Amino acid sequence: MIWKIFLFLLLAFVSVAGISFPIVENPTKWYEFPLIPGLEENAKIIFFHVPTAWLTVIAFLMSTLYSFKYLRKKNLDDDLKSYASAQLGMIFCILATITGSVWAKFAWGSFWNWDPRETSIFALLLIYGAWFALRSSIESEEKRATLSAVYSMIAFVTVPFFIFIMPRIMTGLHPGSADDSNAGPVVNFKMNGNMLLIFFLSLIGFTILYFWMWRIGYKSILLKDKLDKKLIRG
Amino acid sequence: MEEFLSKNSIYIVMIIVLIVWTGIFSYMISLDKRIKKVEKEMSGDKNEK
Repeated sequence: MIWKIFLFLLLAFVSVAGISFPIVENPTKWYEFPLIPGLEENAKIIFFHVPTAWLTVIAFLMSTLYSFKYLRKKNLDDDLKSYASAQLGMIFCILATITGSVWAKFAWGSFWNWDPRETSIFALLLIYGAWFALRSSIESEEKRATLSAVYSMIAFVTVPFFIFIMPRIMTGLHPGSADDSNAGPVVNFKMNGNMLLIFFLSLIGFTILYFWMWRIGYKSILLKDKLDKKLIRG
Repeated sequence: MEEFLSKNSIYIVMIIVLIVWTGIFSYMISLDKRIKKVEKEMSGDKNEK
């Protein structure tokens, strides 16, 4: 219970700080953020948009780890865990796309530009969308679990490439792309200590939230699965 | 509307926060539906016995 209260306080703090802390040119106080040329107030979405993309990676990673575990131990519970995690990964992937697109409208002028970052997340959505289609098309439980475990392991190979590598080596509009004048990977683009601290607090908060959602999601899928089997047998 | 938002970009941040919460909320609703189904099936089970 204590960690849930901790999580509530952490996310409440991140939301308040992320939205309301002022952006000034030369930050002197602990609650002031630095001005990043070209981003201004928009820079604050880093506390909410980046964690969703981060959770996409974490959720797909956990999904793949449990797929791997399923293939080794052939325990159907692992398959359900992998499924619950991939569901969350998909939700956060869609959220990252939508929030990014809203931001793009005001930073770049249109909702969708086929920027390398947008193209890569779109490909990722398609790849994992196919995974759900694959799952729902197979009726036999073991067969579905095995096939989707293999697919998910192959699909995850593309994730680091699409999220971390491709948008950084290609020129584009997204902060952190190859020709970004604000320089370098997103995390050290002229953030100061406070901004970094709140950014990492946000990452930690969202990650804990994800693990909580995953556990509840998994339990509900497991319960439904057990009940369905019982009804069929009974 | 667009002009207002590009001048007061803090509201864009707010919209983005709202979108993230909407996503999490919709997950909670789907979870709720699933659990309600389980509850219904369980109570149906009891009636049969």
